[in-house]
Amino acid sequence: MPSSQAPSIAGSALDPSAVRPDIADAEIFRVAPAELRAKLLLLRAEGCSLLLDVGAVDYLGREPRYDVVYHLLALPAKPSSVAEIGVPRRVRVLAGVPAEAPMLPTVCDLWPSANWAEREIYDLFGISFEGHPDLRRIQMPEGWEGHPLRKDYPLRGPAREATPRPAFASKSNVPAGTPPAGKVAAALQKQIARARGQAPNGTEKT
Amino acid sequence: MSVTPEAVARATTLDVVEVKGNAMTLSMGPQHPSTHGVLQVVVEVSGEIVEKAEMEIGYLHTGIEKTAENLFWTQAGTVIERMDYLNPLGNELTYTLAVEKLLGVSDRIPERAQSIRVLVTELTRIASHCVWLGTGGIDLGAISTFFYTFDIREDILDLLEQSGGARMHPHYIRIGGVNGDVPAGFLGRLDALIAKFPQRMRELRALLQNNPILRDRMIDVGIVSPADALAWGLTGPSLRASGIAYDVRKAFPYSGYEKYAFDVPVRDDGDAYARFLVRLDEMEEAMRIVGQVRKELDTSGPIMIDDPKIAQPPKEAIALSMEALIHHFKIVSESFRVPPGDVYVATESPRGELAYYLVSNGNNRPYRVRTRPPSMYNLQALKHMVPGNLIADMVVMIGSLDPVFGEVDR
Amino acid sequence: MEVMPGQFMLGKLDDVARWAQSSSVWPLTMGLACCAIEMMSVTNSTYDIARFGSEVFRASPRQADLMIVSGRVAQKMGPIIKRLYDQMADPKWVISMGACASSGGVFDNYAIVQGVDTIVPVDVYVPGCPPTPDGLLYAVNLIQQQIRQGGRGGILAKA
Repeated sequence: MPSSQAPSIAGSALDPSAVRPDIADAEIFRVAPAELRAKLLLLRAEGCSLLLDVGAVDYLGREPRYDVVYHLLALPAKPSSVAEIGVPRRVRVLAGVPAEAPMLPTVCDLWPSANWAEREIYDLFGISFEGHPDLRRIQMPEGWEGHPLRKDYPLRGPAREATPRPAFASKSNVPAGTPPAGKVAAALQKQIARARGQAPNGTEKT
Repeated sequence: MSVTPEAVARATTLDVVEVKGNAMTLSMGPQHPSTHGVLQVVVEVSGEIVEKAEMEIGYLHTGIEKTAENLFWTQAGTVIERMDYLNPLGNELTYTLAVEKLLGVSDRIPERAQSIRVLVTELTRIASHCVWLGTGGIDLGAISTFFYTFDIREDILDLLEQSGGARMHPHYIRIGGVNGDVPAGFLGRLDALIAKFPQRMRELRALLQNNPILRDRMIDVGIVSPADALAWGLTGPSLRASGIAYDVRKAFPYSGYEKYAFDVPVRDDGDAYARFLVRLDEMEEAMRIVGQVRKELDTSGPIMIDDPKIAQPPKEAIALSMEALIHHFKIVSESFRVPPGDVYVATESPRGELAYYLVSNGNNRPYRVRTRPPSMYNLQALKHMVPGNLIADMVVMIGSLDPVFGEVDR
Repeated sequence: MEVMPGQFMLGKLDDVARWAQSSSVWPLTMGLACCAIEMMSVTNSTYDIARFGSEVFRASPRQADLMIVSGRVAQKMGPIIKRLYDQMADPKWVISMGACASSGGVFDNYAIVQGVDTIVPVDVYVPGCPPTPDGLLYAVNLIQQQIRQGGRGGILAKA
């Protein structure tokens, strides 16, 4: 439906090489999975001592399908004051991971904080991390099938995907489709009939 | 027997314990009075000394991120609020700032709205530290602390209920501003709280700070060096207690924080006592900011951006203006579209750097909401802090890291 | 029960036992999420659940009468709630606190059990997200009423 709010499709977030609006929240690097460790080692040597976050995004329909996003922060590794820290350097590294063999090298040996984050990506997206000391599910129970945050996984889960909404609809002791009854319902029906110019029992007034 | 994946799996299927010689593998949690929520720590203990600890999380995994992908930009804030449930307005603020950055309207948010945002966020910080201190005290057996801190918290929640409509999760901070100005009587109550607070802090400090039992239990417990803190991804009070004065409000100011004068408490010792002192000082610094914001609220002004495509028109206008009605209808029924792009916006939550990495594909729903959960990164450090310490020390360490499981598991 | 002149009270054993039970309902510390914080608030000096007899929250299910399921129940947590409920000694009651525990709440998705009553039998549901501490206090009062009327959890009834 045409709307003044609809933006142009150019520069879509789905396009890995797209020019993004100038938000300037971090230095952004996009690398291939094979160059990932080299780039992160280089950044760590340049002073990016804090791995803030490792996250993933599923761009279903794009090649490569997933983006794994590393956010880094350069902080001095010694007691420092607010003035000494100033405005630390923020870096974002994106690695495109293909759907057929979703695997990346781990960075747990560089930053131990990546341990649970990589497990979570494995659990919710199915991307494996080569060299991870303990790669198993973290949020979902052991033995859960499927990777919930993928775009082709239904929100309510495959078991309940087809069941009616809301979930508590089945808990009512009045079956769905029961016609309304009682004094209030009857009065309402009379009012509706009057408004439609019908006789109270629903037939047309002559 | 050690904490292998098999042992952990057995513990999660609720079969108990391995016993070998003096060493026992026990499951502490997920229902436990001292784990601060649904955390399971599978510990290998010999006597009272923990040899190894493996943490199991996921007992509160709610799929909030995926739920947010199925809600409008305006609605997603309601579920995102429920991540770090001790800091709901902080979560909302971070998400809202990120969406505003993607929309490109960050510099059009009215000043009064920004002041109110800072006010409620700092009040929430104090309220969150009140819960930390109260429950931390209970862990140590100092039960009266709980009543003192929750009294302060009740005053703050009264204020949040007055302005936002609910004690917790008021969805008060909206994209474009805040949902309604502070009502009549709010500023008077805020003044009363500002006046009462210093005495309360004095009482808390007198009760706790030099208490020999508290000092014995917290000093030299859970020492984290600055290099280790960075390696394990600690942020917030836990990082500042190890000497690194990184506070997002100072390094990357947002929402007008550069206007306010406040200090960032930092300690060098890196133990639980240092983290305790840093948070106590932070409560006072937060109240200092609240006092400065209070002065700004005497002059009136708009509290929502003047853009009918983003902010709903005021209710009075809807009855009189056709355009206002249509804009209201469009925003409520299908929200607005956010230009494609991705952004990472961070704020300082009571637990550390809370950030959202939002991806938009031009639609009226978020394409991806990735949270940078400070509690999850803070909690990972526990595995390395614990070995060689008593179980009782482990309880103190968990309390000093202040995890909130709504955020760890999402 | 009637108070006789002098210092006697006359009543049936059932009534006396139920009066005692309803005056000392001890909850289990089962805090899951946001509702747990409001459950903590119900013990503070403003709301003070202790005046209703719930002086202590017991961590061991063996020592608790009431399980207040306060918060959203994730898939991993479901079996644990069932186990805790089984470990509680009769008579026991369950309050489902909040929208998430009652029906899944705002989270109609793969991760949340749609109502803790699919796992354990519930006596009182408290609406709210989270309910105010007043709501939880009212729920505890309703449990007390149920006990005094010899409801589901009466001393002669199986849980």
